[in-house]
Amino acid sequence: MAQAMVEMVIEGGHQLALVQGLRELWAFREVIRAFAEQDTRLKYKQAALGVAWAVIQPLALLGIFIIVFGRIGKVSAGTVPYPAFALAALVPWFFLQTAVSFGAQSLLMDSALVRKVYFAREAPILGAVLSSGVDFIFGFAVLLALGPFLGMRLSWMALFAVPLWMVLAVLASGVAMALGALNVYYRDFRYVLPVFLQLWMFASPVAYPLSAVPHRWRELYLLANPAAGVLDGFRQTLAEGRFPDLGPLLLSAGMALVIAWLGYSLFKRIEQGFADAI
Amino acid sequence: MTWAVRFQDVSKRYRGGGPRYASLRDDLAQLGRRTVAFLRHNAVEPRGTLALDRLSLEVEAGEAFAIIGPNGAGKTTALKLLTRISYPTEGRVSVRGRVGALIEVGSGVHPELTGRENIWLYGRIMGMSRREIYRRFDEIVDFAELRHELDVPVKMYSSGMQLRLGFAIASHLDPDIFVVDEALAVGDAGFQAKCVKRMMNLLGSGKTLLFVSHNLYAVEALCARGVYLSRGTTVASGPIRDVLARYLDDVDEHRATGDAREHVTGGPITLSVKCIGPDGSPRIQTGETLEIVCDVQCTHPGTGAYFHFGVSDRGQGNPLFLASQIMNGHGPIRLADRDRIICVIPDIPLLPRIYEVWGEVRGDHGWGNFITWQKLATFRVVRDPKDASASVSHEGVDAPIRAKFWFDHETRTVGSV
Repeated sequence: MAQAMVEMVIEGGHQLALVQGLRELWAFREVIRAFAEQDTRLKYKQAALGVAWAVIQPLALLGIFIIVFGRIGKVSAGTVPYPAFALAALVPWFFLQTAVSFGAQSLLMDSALVRKVYFAREAPILGAVLSSGVDFIFGFAVLLALGPFLGMRLSWMALFAVPLWMVLAVLASGVAMALGALNVYYRDFRYVLPVFLQLWMFASPVAYPLSAVPHRWRELYLLANPAAGVLDGFRQTLAEGRFPDLGPLLLSAGMALVIAWLGYSLFKRIEQGFADAI
Repeated sequence: MTWAVRFQDVSKRYRGGGPRYASLRDDLAQLGRRTVAFLRHNAVEPRGTLALDRLSLEVEAGEAFAIIGPNGAGKTTALKLLTRISYPTEGRVSVRGRVGALIEVGSGVHPELTGRENIWLYGRIMGMSRREIYRRFDEIVDFAELRHELDVPVKMYSSGMQLRLGFAIASHLDPDIFVVDEALAVGDAGFQAKCVKRMMNLLGSGKTLLFVSHNLYAVEALCARGVYLSRGTTVASGPIRDVLARYLDDVDEHRATGDAREHVTGGPITLSVKCIGPDGSPRIQTGETLEIVCDVQCTHPGTGAYFHFGVSDRGQGNPLFLASQIMNGHGPIRLADRDRIICVIPDIPLLPRIYEVWGEVRGDHGWGNFITWQKLATFRVVRDPKDASASVSHEGVDAPIRAKFWFDHETRTVGSV
């Protein structure tokens, strides 16, 4: 053999060091992209309304929120009209929800491949998160288009959406990796997932403002829900058009990193058995 | 030469009898058992089945290596370990180079994606650049014979089409080590031949081939060395002829003890055919006499029938030679309700290998073919241990008709003159 070949050692039990795992993940970046493209294509190809769903779903929820919380519940939205207030948090929340639910299911969706080919097992999950990012772009475009009519104070502060989205993506990846890995072993998680996501939504400042949480509970609330600070940040920058409160935001970002790390560690710990269990 | 694939004392244990998914309830119960055992200072018995038990082997770079064995021997498990799909419970597998694998039909093929998308996805999984995939694309499509179906989701494909696509992708994306598992059984004869040719090409260009198959003809034709696994342990390894011989001995033994005679029914008759040599087993030596023993049950006694037998070595029923009653101008045999027809083929001019007996039964009037031309039994020519220099000259020759029928009303046997 003229060319030097990469030698690969396959052993059980010993798990990849995290750094090594991340390096491998980088080597598989094209595959992550391939999965993201594939997910996006599949999601819309099989649906009659196609890409429109990325917009319809958050708008439908917006309608419900306006009626239930805006009219009946009379939730105080502060300085902006309730529809503007709700939409600003609903679009990013929808990203988090789709990313986690598609991410957690993606290994099973791609089980035909997992059982037969090797690739970094994180790739389908991260691909699903990225492809949910495409939905987010559509949703965001609608938000930008509708916002002024609903009373949003759109300004340059909307550019905060980029770093805020990245925090959500890190959080979603961590949660999706943990749930996705467990989902392979225990199909019970398929039933847990929708309930979990519902609870998470109502535990997040999506339908109501963060200020609705009593002051003495607020720190605990932010600690228990790493999405809270980010979603509130979206609302401040998009709907209210002001600089976000950095405290809750940084807390959320830090927790998102910790959760991503925990999720990834759990994933790495049990990934060797995926093909046997799936 | 250096090794391309190496297994060192590799064991693989599957939990709960096989690869399957667990439920939380089972695992909680298991946790409970372990806790109790731990508290009582008992050792915990490892549960599950051992699919591979301390397997060690080395595949040289550039060689074709076969893994054979009965179902459940651990062949696919071994391939899954070296392709890094699954991980060993103990031991170490080392691989040098890029592996392209076709593990069962539809390997690496995503059912929801179209053929085109699958080629791109798999190419990227294999670490190829867009340019490389683009360059190979037409070649793959041509090989898979899929022009029109290219933009249809793979789940709509027939299994043959999936196989063609899977094989084309895996074999064209520049693997250093090409792994093929059982896949060829699904394809039609033409495609099988094409696959074998493609594997020969890969071998010719210095690639390593790992081949798992029940098609012993293909194994024998392609591979120089191999290993015979049974229940996860190595039974024999080395030159392929020795390994195959050992495997076939075990199969023979199993057949002899298991009485695996199949029945074939057609029209008013039911056939049960076996091949026996002088010692009563389906193993004969070159130059010995083969008897094709055919037990017939007939629901309409007195039915007239013509018997034809052929010996074939390629699994497709093209006979090396024929023994035919019609061609020999004999009249039909009037069958009793139970009959035994024996076709005797003396002085068999075949080299050590597995052969198949194909046959058909025709009615004398009105009934047409009772039994259409099909595989009825197998026998094996083995080397005479005393005479290892058995003649070579007959192999591959479509020999002239060697056996002639005669029919004796006394003994009710058909034999040759």
